[in-house]
Amino acid sequence: MKHIVRNKFSLSLIAGMLSLAACTNQLNVEPVNTIDAGAAVATSGDVEALLVGAYDALGTTDVYGGNLQRDAELLGDNGEIFFDGTFVAPDEIFRKSMLVNNSQSSETWLDSYRTINIANNVLANLDVVTSGIRDRVEGEAKFIRGSLFFELVRVYGKAWGDGTPASNPGIPLILTPTTEITEEANVSRNSVAEVYAQAIQDLTDAEAKLPAANGFFATKAAAAGMLSRIYMMQERYADAANAATRVINSGRYSLVAAGDVFDLRVNQNGFNTAEDIFAIQITDQDGVNSLNTFYGAAEFGGRGDILIEDAHLDLYEADDLRGTLFYEGDNGGIYTSKWLNQYGNIKVMRLAEMYLTRAEANFRTNASVGASPAEDINLIRVRAGLAPVSAANLTLAGILSERRLELAFEGHLIHDLKRTKSNVGSLPYNSPKLIFPIPQREMDANANLQQNEGY
Amino acid sequence: MKKISLLLLLCVLFSVSAVLAQDVSITGQVTSAEDGTSLPGVSVQVKGSTRGTQTDASGNYQINAGSNAILVFSFVGLGAQEIRVGNQSIINVALTSDDRTLSEVVVTGYGTQSKRNLTGNIAKISGAEIENVPVTTFEQALQGRAAGVQITSLNGKLGQGMQMRIRGSSSVTASNEPLYVLDGIPLTSSDQGTSTAPQNPLADINFNDIESIDILKDASAAAIYGSRASNGVVLITTKKGKTGKTKFNASYQMGSSTPTRLRDWLNTEQYVELFSEAVNNSIALGNLPANYLTGSTYSRFTRYAAGDEEGWRNSKFDTDWQSEAFQKAPMGQFDLSASGGDARTRFFVSGQYLDQKGILISNTFKRLSGRVNLDHKATEKLSLGVNVNLARTENGRLSNDNAFSTPLQIVALPPMTPVIDPRTDQLSGNYTLYYNPLLNRDFSSNLSTSYRTIGNVYAEYKFANWLKFRSEWGTDLYNLNEDQYFGKETSRNTGAPNGQGFSSWAQITNYTTNNFFTMGTTLAEVHDIDATVGMTFQKSDATLNQVTGQEFPSNSYTKIISAARITAGSSSATNFSFLSYFARANYRFANKYLFSVSGRVDGSSRFGENNRYGFFPAASAGWLISDENFMKDIPSLSLLKLRASYGLTGNAEIGNFDSYGLYRGDAGYAGVPGQRPEQIENPDLRWEQTTQTDAGLEFGFFGGRISGEVDYYVKTTRDLLLNVNVPGTSGFRTQLRNVGNLENKGWEFVLNTENVTGAFTWNTTLNLAANRNKILNLDGQVIEGGFINRAVEGQPIGSFFSIEYAGVDPQNGDALYYVNEERPDGSLDRSTTNDPNVAQRTVIGNPNPTLIGGISNNFAYKGLELNFLFQGQYGNDIYNGGGKFQSANGDFFDNQTTDQLNRWRQPGDVTNVPQARLFGANGTAESSRYLQRGDYLRLKTATLSYTLPNTISSKIKMDRVRLYVTGQNLLTFTKYTGWDPEVNADYLAGNIGLGNDFYSAPQAKTIIVGINLGF
Repeated sequence: MKHIVRNKFSLSLIAGMLSLAACTNQLNVEPVNTIDAGAAVATSGDVEALLVGAYDALGTTDVYGGNLQRDAELLGDNGEIFFDGTFVAPDEIFRKSMLVNNSQSSETWLDSYRTINIANNVLANLDVVTSGIRDRVEGEAKFIRGSLFFELVRVYGKAWGDGTPASNPGIPLILTPTTEITEEANVSRNSVAEVYAQAIQDLTDAEAKLPAANGFFATKAAAAGMLSRIYMMQERYADAANAATRVINSGRYSLVAAGDVFDLRVNQNGFNTAEDIFAIQITDQDGVNSLNTFYGAAEFGGRGDILIEDAHLDLYEADDLRGTLFYEGDNGGIYTSKWLNQYGNIKVMRLAEMYLTRAEANFRTNASVGASPAEDINLIRVRAGLAPVSAANLTLAGILSERRLELAFEGHLIHDLKRTKSNVGSLPYNSPKLIFPIPQREMDANANLQQNEGY
Repeated sequence: MKKISLLLLLCVLFSVSAVLAQDVSITGQVTSAEDGTSLPGVSVQVKGSTRGTQTDASGNYQINAGSNAILVFSFVGLGAQEIRVGNQSIINVALTSDDRTLSEVVVTGYGTQSKRNLTGNIAKISGAEIENVPVTTFEQALQGRAAGVQITSLNGKLGQGMQMRIRGSSSVTASNEPLYVLDGIPLTSSDQGTSTAPQNPLADINFNDIESIDILKDASAAAIYGSRASNGVVLITTKKGKTGKTKFNASYQMGSSTPTRLRDWLNTEQYVELFSEAVNNSIALGNLPANYLTGSTYSRFTRYAAGDEEGWRNSKFDTDWQSEAFQKAPMGQFDLSASGGDARTRFFVSGQYLDQKGILISNTFKRLSGRVNLDHKATEKLSLGVNVNLARTENGRLSNDNAFSTPLQIVALPPMTPVIDPRTDQLSGNYTLYYNPLLNRDFSSNLSTSYRTIGNVYAEYKFANWLKFRSEWGTDLYNLNEDQYFGKETSRNTGAPNGQGFSSWAQITNYTTNNFFTMGTTLAEVHDIDATVGMTFQKSDATLNQVTGQEFPSNSYTKIISAARITAGSSSATNFSFLSYFARANYRFANKYLFSVSGRVDGSSRFGENNRYGFFPAASAGWLISDENFMKDIPSLSLLKLRASYGLTGNAEIGNFDSYGLYRGDAGYAGVPGQRPEQIENPDLRWEQTTQTDAGLEFGFFGGRISGEVDYYVKTTRDLLLNVNVPGTSGFRTQLRNVGNLENKGWEFVLNTENVTGAFTWNTTLNLAANRNKILNLDGQVIEGGFINRAVEGQPIGSFFSIEYAGVDPQNGDALYYVNEERPDGSLDRSTTNDPNVAQRTVIGNPNPTLIGGISNNFAYKGLELNFLFQGQYGNDIYNGGGKFQSANGDFFDNQTTDQLNRWRQPGDVTNVPQARLFGANGTAESSRYLQRGDYLRLKTATLSYTLPNTISSKIKMDRVRLYVTGQNLLTFTKYTGWDPEVNADYLAGNIGLGNDFYSAPQAKTIIVGINLGF
């Protein structure tokens, strides 16, 4: 011991060592890139940021960032396009031969529910939101949630018109945020009818609470437009015509010139046109336009995977301006120009659809809510450089064909085929091959889920 | 009962020794004559008596003997010395080495120990064994040299990440890589780059600086590293200066590399034949329109043939694309070192410059490294020193194996596509089937440069002969700069029309301090006690900045300052800390009975508030049977030692904040800020705990001419850190939990023989290890990786889990799969189906070898020396994830392997290749069709060297002149038909992602010539 006491050097060493040993608080290291969940949602601003996070999630490639729309076209196609790519998942969808482990089925499911959970977190924290904007915040969250319930049920469940919606399995309805994972997380599928009912309720609330103008975020009209889609699936044509009319009559949107509907610039940040009711915002900093990824030729930033075949090009009348929305890529393939700009916005809903929806709904119910079917159809035809069609010559097939040409490659195909009970090639509209499997990973993680027929 | 008798025995022995202690007390220190370092564990015996002791950790001893007695100092591997006591009371001895030098001292955590007294399992590889092996990183040089250590290069790209598994995989989610410690400082060893293809930070180490590598394998050896030791610990010790005249060593080596193997691909004629047939078959099945061949297909062929119909009709173009992926691969390496010193100060300085080209286009590796190790004895009691290593490594990197731009994906291009488009005289560009990786060769750069400083200072103070204190302060500064530029020609791949630049800086600062006391004493001549007790603290801070820009005026501008548009940028940071206390005590009784206990208390920032500290104890015992009197009659037996250990280690290698519930603020949308929930909280999160039992037998015969050891171990890991799949409906994918357990069981066998001695010598070293990994319980979780890898209960980790290919229906050419559905009676339905959705998935293979090993032979005659090392593994399977594109009987337009020509053509054909059907998905589902045995045996390293006789070298004023030729991977014996059986596709490699091949580059076969000069 004498040595120790006498020796300053060793004393200082040992002192240093002891002081270090006392530094247990060195173990309290705080995360830098992230923050503690408990402190994340305390103020109105926090909830608003969370709501923006829900849009960000909604805009990811596997949701409205393009893959939902892409898959609706791949699954509904019968020779008008050709999937030339190497990704296995979209290829299986295109060939109508999905395997249970199809990764797109899994990603669409996971990212949609991730978005729904964020929306649920917003809805659960409305009490801290400044009262002046509370309705808007609630409306936006419900728009997002209701839209996704609707998208998911038509991807993973039988079509409304196929059998009994009240007993057909839909998708699980999740209405509260997840704070911990317990046995209750092993949810079951709600029926198709229940999911539709919830989607309608969410979107009806949203329409009531959303403002008419809300920047590029969801508006009253966006909610009404989404409702019109649901009603069309349910063959509730009068409701659909009314919902579409509410959008049209809002006066906030107008058809633009044929050449201005789509963003034909390249590599520039996206913008909404006067016609766009709801669009996912893409910039070169944020967001990926997955429709460009798959529909765009390599020289425009895409993979050039989806080639347009003559069978489609032949559908356009000679003067149809929409028939010029194609180009030949450097590799010799024909591509659609709709998704030319890799930083262009993704149009989820635009005004033309509302006219087409109202025309069809009115035609089917022999009504003229807002306008006559011919008037609505001719707005679209004339803009496309075509001669108007007389009311006498207007047919349902004509309306549907107009709809197909106007909205081609925008994510409507399989849903329109299912609601009109049309075949996809040799497959009937209700073939199990036209319904996504419940993802294998989800079946494995949750024993309470029931797999779809055919998987 | 046993305890009591042992105690009794101890008491008796105490009293006996007390009686004997009448003679003079003699003390002293035993050092190595070579470098003056103290030698622990040296046997000190009174000749002709049973009295004896051993030196303690500082090389000190104390013994009682009469003045007429003769003391015998002996140490395995060193020449024994006999000294008459006379009237001396202090006898210091310097032992000189025979040819095995100090290899019998092993480095343990926070100390060293003689191999003789070791009760744990430590594999030691001396630096001399791996010196000048022509590879870029020392782990590659270790392959096949240590029992139970499996080392896999992911592919043949230089500087690429490696996988090391010591006694199998002990975790499903946390890291399975060992802890690397260099001169007491834990190293940053995991990938810090931004690419999904991992980059190896250990490639910064010049392994010619390494004195020894000690791999701690069992719990007794590793538990002193507590929560970081479940995967084993690799202790790297660098060279120290040696007292004496300054010695210089200069060496130069040069050589070149080629791929170990190439594969056979269709030529244009075969391609056109196969694909025409595939189209016709699909037309016949009604899946393609009748004119698809003459219309769409022929125009496609013409398009691929640069618009020239002759290109495919008459094989005008017939490109061997595979050969375009490779380049000439020369390498050169220059090493210079000096070492020396006097009684007080010793130094070792070294420098290295390595410049190597990889076998793949644009793949390069350059390393410039310098080291100074300085040891100074300030006073008799105080010594201090410094070790500093500076290195700069520049790695020309490639895209990951999954990228169109990675060189080997070039094989997918049809052979009728010319390399140079005759229409433009430029490289074939946008018209090719896929992106042409040659565009990356000519119009991009991808450089990763690391700047590394690893250093420590230490001071050691000797309070008394039996007690010293050592304090080490070290740092590992790792700076990694990635700088990439992709010209506008690569836009098809990058999506950026006018060039894209990327730059990132990662800085990882790692501070460590170790402070510990070492005690050692011998009581009553028969009780040897050593103890170590101390603490260690480590803190690591990491920051990452990156920026991406697009729109460059021309390819002459490659830095982002010239980018018209900054498209992405971020900065982020993370950190962790460990605070630990450790202790170890070794006790030897009568030099024959060995006991050791150790323990560590570890605290880590990574774990939940509820489980911040853990305790990791271990105990072991050994019995030197050969030193028992009843064994002395067996003269041929030189060593027989039985040892056993049991202990607990942990695995803390998970993310830094995995226990927290987290929100992330990266969810902005169109310029509006946003946040999102990212992670569900788990405050109970804790270490994985591995208990390991090891029993070993060490033996030596005929004075050590035959020696070896056999070990059996059982390693059980519980509280596995699992990324448990949670229902996605929760909004989350996984949650990290402590769930489940797994087991590694196995044996290891090491045999060293001196087959021929004399002027001509022949030595053999063999190591074999069998490990069986088994997942015992995952709580029903399904954890997947790779293409079809899975963690399945009752199976080894990463088992291939998919449907089973049943060959081809001879009637119609359909690919068939076994249904494999379990019948109610438990049997499997072995009928076949052509619908892969009907076939049930089952375990179809195992990526983990059941047997690994290496055998090294060394022949020497005068100055001539031949050494060759075979390394191999057995019992593992490889899944070729590229098979569904490469060998898909014409399913898509990718060029096919020539074995696809054996496709089914007409009823009655018996073959394993289904009928060719374009877009037919006939046999392309992931299945055992693409699974193969991965066994291999490889001539890993062979060296022939000649050292000039002294008479000649001294004439040219040289101490030593050695010339050598070394070959790496010269021969490979395998049935695997892919490029190389040593593979694990870089972008999929992980705990579960094992044994996958995906356009992964083969290893390099390298031949070099070199010269070493000592002066």
